[in-house]
Amino acid sequence: MSSETPAAGAAAHVRATLDGVFATVARVREASARHLGAARAQGRPPVRADLTALRPLLHDHLGPLVSGLGFIAAPGLLADAAWHMEWWQTGPAGDPVRLLRDLDPESSALYDYTGWEWFAGPRDGAEKTVCGPYVDYLCSDEYVLTLAMPVRVAGEFAGVAAADVFSRTFENEVVPALREIPAPAFVVNAPGRVMASNTASWPPGTVYRGGGAGLAARPCGDLSLSLVTAG
Amino acid sequence: MDSARLVAFAPVDNTARVHAVVRRLGDAIALGLLADGEQLPSETELAGHLGVSTVTLREALMALRQQGLIETRRGRGGGSFVRAPARPFDLDERLRPFTAEELRDLGDHYAAIAGTAARLAARRSLPGDVARLRRSLAQLTGPPDARRARLDGRLHLEIAGASQSVRLTREEIRLQADIGPLLWAVDALPAHRGRAGTEHTAIVEAIAGGEDGRARDVAESHIAHAVEHLIERRLAL
Repeated sequence: MSSETPAAGAAAHVRATLDGVFATVARVREASARHLGAARAQGRPPVRADLTALRPLLHDHLGPLVSGLGFIAAPGLLADAAWHMEWWQTGPAGDPVRLLRDLDPESSALYDYTGWEWFAGPRDGAEKTVCGPYVDYLCSDEYVLTLAMPVRVAGEFAGVAAADVFSRTFENEVVPALREIPAPAFVVNAPGRVMASNTASWPPGTVYRGGGAGLAARPCGDLSLSLVTAG
Repeated sequence: MDSARLVAFAPVDNTARVHAVVRRLGDAIALGLLADGEQLPSETELAGHLGVSTVTLREALMALRQQGLIETRRGRGGGSFVRAPARPFDLDERLRPFTAEELRDLGDHYAAIAGTAARLAARRSLPGDVARLRRSLAQLTGPPDARRARLDGRLHLEIAGASQSVRLTREEIRLQADIGPLLWAVDALPAHRGRAGTEHTAIVEAIAGGEDGRARDVAESHIAHAVEHLIERRLAL
């Protein structure tokens, strides 16, 4: 690390932080595919109860970094619910709490989740989607990042495995590395939303539309994020 | 304890909270936002969502039961269930407790939140945010029923979310609960058909074009128009 420039070090740290979360998402993805596949192997379509087996894994991985975790079913996947989430969040007392929402868009227009990038990205083939930060009025009522991967059963898209990280948690994690850079620097997601920054000129949530005098972007590994630095 | 402290620490009147919960849930049921037969969350959960004690919630549920808007079944599979109201949402009845000043003030508050949210959304929206707004806009057609009220609420919530402000979004949700049913009722009046649609399109296009000042102006006047009608109607009662 010592031979790297501070910018390269910060980019690597951003990537390592998110890769750690993706490792958790990958475990949820594998377990989801296994439980859904087991139902198929019994010659029946999967039902909600097949997904309750995920709970010990989900509870174990909620913590200081991951504030929400679970599996979101593709509409029509389950025989007993057109729309379903096996989604757990850290509750006010620190214990895991299940998100219970009326997800049927017929009765609750708010909660059609197929339009969100964390669902559409994996559905449309992206292996790793970093969505946000965005105001998550659907699940947590917080400003969050959602990291998502597709779940496939026998090659077919079955839903999404995902984890939420509060924007403030991500910021606390990466800002020290950004502050090592002796110039304005910030991390932006693929469409250009600022995720964390060492300068008040580009606070989280603002949009970087490319260009800008003396600003240069470098990728953060294979994730579609960039570290933008001046000078 | 001195008298100032006695006043400051006097028990807060619980009746107002009970009324607020009854009005909130009653409106949602009358508008069809909570569907006939839908099960409400458990008392503990619902009290948590609404930010009231379970005692307050129980009193409110009792009042709703007496109005025939919910029924409670005991035992396994029991709970509180929504019952479609015999009478539809009555705008005049709902307006009667308000003074013109209170309606104007509610409108001022909502316009401040919605206007600022629209301005920030115009500055900070990415193509994905705009696509979400356009999708809701395209779905906002058809008769002015519960479905359209839901979509209207969703569009305004999406605009608030696009501002990237959690606080503005929470406030949008709270104000929608307070004033949304009144605004939707105005939208449903024959004389107002079409206007809200035109205004929604103008807000979304201003956001899409990054015109922050215009987005705020249109969002503010969208609310001001509806509130002006509410005040006129209240004064004519």
